[in-house]
Amino acid sequence: MLQSYTYGELDNFSEQSRKKKQKTENPVPLNRRSRKRKKFRVFSKGEGLDLPFFLLIVVVLIIGLIMMFSASYPYAFHRYDNSYFFIKRQVIFALLGLGAMIGLSYFDYHHLHIVAAPSLGVAWFLMLLVLILPSAEGDDAPKRWLELGIFRLQASEVCKFALILFMANWGSIYYKKMKTIKFGIMPGVIVLGITGFLLYLEPHYSGIVICILIVAVMMFLSGVPIIYFGIAGVAVGVLVFIMAITGKLSYAMERMDGWGQALEYTTPEMWQTTWQTRNSLYAIGSGGLWGMGLGQSRQKYMYLPEPQNDFVFAIVCEELGLIGALIILTLFAVLVYRGIKISQRATDKFGMLLGVGLMAQIGLQVVLNILVITDFLPNTGISLPFFSYGGSSLVMLLAQMGIVMNISRTATLEKQ
Amino acid sequence: MGDNFLSGIKARSTVLMFLIILLGFGSVMSRLVYLQIIQGEDLSERAVEQQLSDTAVSAKRGSIFDRNGNTLASSASVWKVILAPAYFENDTQRKYVSENLANILGMDSSEIMELAKKSDSYYQTVKRRIESDERDKILEFINEVSKKYDRLASVIVLEEDYKRYYPYNDFAASVIGFTGSDGQGLSGIEYQYDSYLTGVPGRIVTENDGWGTMMPFEYQQKEDAQDGNSLVLTIDETIQHFLEKYLKQGIIDYKVEEGAVAICMNVKTGELLGMAVENSFDLNNPYEIADENLRKSVEKLSGTQKEERTNELLAKQWRNKAISDSYYPGSVYKVITASAALEEHAATLSDTYFCSGSLVPYEGVKPIRCHNESGHGSQTFAEALCNSCNPAFMMIGKSLGMEKYWEYFQSFGFNSRTGIDLPGEATGLFFNQDGSMGPTDLAIGSFGQGITVTPIEMVTAMSTVANGGYSVRPYIVKQIMDASGNVVETTEPVIKRQVISKETADTMAQILEKNATEGTAKNGYVAGYRVAGKTGTSEKIGQSRKQGKIDYIASYCGFAPADDPQIALLVYFDTPTGEAYYGSQVAAPVFAGIMSEICPYLGIEAQYTAEELEYVDTVAGTYLTMSLNEAFAKVREDGFEPYVCGEGNTVLAQVPQEGSKIPRGGRVMLYTTNDSTKETVRVPDLVGYTVKQVNELAAEYNINISFSGSVDQDEVYSYAQSISPDEIVSPGTVVTVYFGNDDVDDTVM
Repeated sequence: MLQSYTYGELDNFSEQSRKKKQKTENPVPLNRRSRKRKKFRVFSKGEGLDLPFFLLIVVVLIIGLIMMFSASYPYAFHRYDNSYFFIKRQVIFALLGLGAMIGLSYFDYHHLHIVAAPSLGVAWFLMLLVLILPSAEGDDAPKRWLELGIFRLQASEVCKFALILFMANWGSIYYKKMKTIKFGIMPGVIVLGITGFLLYLEPHYSGIVICILIVAVMMFLSGVPIIYFGIAGVAVGVLVFIMAITGKLSYAMERMDGWGQALEYTTPEMWQTTWQTRNSLYAIGSGGLWGMGLGQSRQKYMYLPEPQNDFVFAIVCEELGLIGALIILTLFAVLVYRGIKISQRATDKFGMLLGVGLMAQIGLQVVLNILVITDFLPNTGISLPFFSYGGSSLVMLLAQMGIVMNISRTATLEKQ
Repeated sequence: MGDNFLSGIKARSTVLMFLIILLGFGSVMSRLVYLQIIQGEDLSERAVEQQLSDTAVSAKRGSIFDRNGNTLASSASVWKVILAPAYFENDTQRKYVSENLANILGMDSSEIMELAKKSDSYYQTVKRRIESDERDKILEFINEVSKKYDRLASVIVLEEDYKRYYPYNDFAASVIGFTGSDGQGLSGIEYQYDSYLTGVPGRIVTENDGWGTMMPFEYQQKEDAQDGNSLVLTIDETIQHFLEKYLKQGIIDYKVEEGAVAICMNVKTGELLGMAVENSFDLNNPYEIADENLRKSVEKLSGTQKEERTNELLAKQWRNKAISDSYYPGSVYKVITASAALEEHAATLSDTYFCSGSLVPYEGVKPIRCHNESGHGSQTFAEALCNSCNPAFMMIGKSLGMEKYWEYFQSFGFNSRTGIDLPGEATGLFFNQDGSMGPTDLAIGSFGQGITVTPIEMVTAMSTVANGGYSVRPYIVKQIMDASGNVVETTEPVIKRQVISKETADTMAQILEKNATEGTAKNGYVAGYRVAGKTGTSEKIGQSRKQGKIDYIASYCGFAPADDPQIALLVYFDTPTGEAYYGSQVAAPVFAGIMSEICPYLGIEAQYTAEELEYVDTVAGTYLTMSLNEAFAKVREDGFEPYVCGEGNTVLAQVPQEGSKIPRGGRVMLYTTNDSTKETVRVPDLVGYTVKQVNELAAEYNINISFSGSVDQDEVYSYAQSISPDEIVSPGTVVTVYFGNDDVDDTVM
């Protein structure tokens, strides 16, 4: 199975090749030593950045930008009289993000130990601010963004990272006690409870889903016994059920009641609610095997609402066809594979948990996003990494990739 | 131990990686395969269906012109405002759109609000037929709305439409006809030639975006709308105008209740130069009852009664009497009987017929009277026609025989439609549909009772007599032109058959000319023009409005010039209720009036007899500022008699004014002092005198007379004057006096 996703030197990093003796020192001195050795080479097979990983990110990012531009310009023109409205901003954020990525690839991730807990606090504080400050979009609209003058920050993007960081930190410290409820279960439940509550108030249900999955993944990686996940799954089901019958899920329900019926609408109301999903399916179906060609999407012309956001991949499918979509998904899969492989070479638990968690987040978001646009899951608003429009998301993503790169740098010593 | 944990994480992360990649990406990819390959075709069809918009482009309806290119009907673009309330999300949007629309369209905003609340509808008509200025404002507003609310981009839609304009309102209304709300022809030429005028609507298949505007792709299939063809009528606007003018006056003068018809036809080709049906209605407002009194009487009614009465009156108003009415032709039909008899040698010009005032057509029946109860005595064939003698025609009919009578009824075209290109043509009716008749039928049929004809059939039959004996198909559309003005079709005259020989036709023309000059039809005489014609008066048997009271139809059918006939003219008054109701009294003067205008208009040269010349009006010149001597010479040169008023030596004023028409030898008053113009005379009663007597009176009262009607006869008497008796006028003022003869009348059964 693995072989199908590897190429060239990837083989060198297979697990067998790294069965070398490793000192059982605590992580900090090891890290210190590795830093001394570091030569400032940006690209290096051995000790610098992981080149394939870096190239994968750049390729995916560029494809993402091109496709987001292609998907968004008609809407941008209609809405803002400016076809470049979205792409201009996105390119700026991409450059910022790349800067952050490269910068962070030189920043020793071990320092993140210190900020792990506070960062979650900051994230919660930002989310509180979002709730308190008046929204620019009116009182009815969901409150998800912090207006920061020239751009707006989506607090939940920060929160996702903070959760991974916190959980990686916790897991690396209390790894021995992860089988207990107190250390293995409680922290995850508590942070998830607080985060979930804040997201519920926004409301931002897809954010809750992602956070639950992230925390679950982190707990799983940290060694929490499998049985608890089964219990948690049941608990979540009960919770959703209770919320549903108390009517507090109205926003999500509204988005869900057309789920799976986008093509079989019977009432004008349903026709309206399923509009976005239906047109997404039309776009995907129109693409066929080979696609209509870059820039040739019809559905982006005001049929598919906000094609720059969550549904950007529907336009990708329409323009590039199944072939293009599969190539892009393969790139994502390889990226996730490569990222996790890099993280697995980390010399400490924190690095490994952090790296795998960050890569898992990308993988999960890609999968969830495409399941949504293909009407396999209800339309809840999960963005596609590197593709969907959104500054905070892109900058955070690239910064996180910088952290993974730093993990690859510090892990290289094993290779000699 | 650290290793254990590290490898534990590693192991779990490998599991996670495989879960994400195999399960997650695997399911996502297979979902895409399913949607794009298996469901792809269906989905893309649905997508194309929503993206392609098939817009019908309405074709512009063709125009209608008269033969000289005057526009009688044309279409102009208008727009229909459609609201699609389904797009509204809340009342704020509804209010915003309603109020702004109301503002632009000058409507009540609550009215639009009501439409806006029909939230499951995509098609609510707000206003029809808005013009381009309002349309521009709406377009601007649509732009504004779509900027403000994304979802409302298609909430207002404009559909192009056309509106029909009739620049002359009630002119030739029954001929032209009008169109319905969807632009379809409903009557007249608009109906008959609907398929030509309509054109072919085009369609544009475009790829439209979700807001209904075009996407910037090359894909567009366009079938241009093919604008409708235009029609050029044979109608001459000027001639039509003459017809309508005289009919309108006639309806007033003779208190005509059921309308009137005048048809002017080119006898050689069948082209209709004019077809007037009065009372007319406004084509731009065809659903209004044109007659004010009737309209008021209907407004007093209510409910279904009102509706029924309105529909009845409208149907009557729109009816083209010229082709849809069938009536007893009366004495006019004697022309047909006479022609048939001559053609069949059942009568010759030298035959004589004795009229004692009545005739028993065959044994055992009551005698049928002549209009001249003392009898016409012995008369030749031609005299019998000029006297319009019923007994003579019963004899002629008898010698013609039933079979031949029926044959000529058919061959003159009374038994079948003329084939005129107008809708609703009726046909004349014979006694029995199979052509059989009894001896009494033959007797009364000989002078035009018992059978019915339509006005268009009558004028067509008269044309046959006028043109040398062949029957033509009357037509009204001369040419069909495409939208760019190229002629695509020209109507060729259709000669159906030779009905009578040229010889018979010429003989009939001579007799009818004589009739128009000396006979019963002389009131239709036009000085200077050789007119031929026959009057007719018929009772509307069984069709009278009140029981016990007889209604009449007065008609005159003739042609001119008699020696080289060019036009035939029928004048037909339905139910004159004044004292005069005979064709000779009612229809003939109107015929004369129309002919006196049409003939000069058509450039037919006047040929006055020596006697007529005496009465032919001459135009007065100007004699102002001349010395008396000069003026005298000039006045005499112009053919008038000068009279002086005042002591001066220079002409300061003159009566009649320059350009006035007075007969040769008339008086021209020359005023040489200013106050002399204050001199006045009283107009005498000039009705009931002969020409000679009127001349004497004119001299006595110092006025000028313009003679109208047939004046070269001693026994004609004046019956009207243009300025009422006892009115005070300047000396030399021209009074038109109308001469006619009402003591000689045609037959009434």
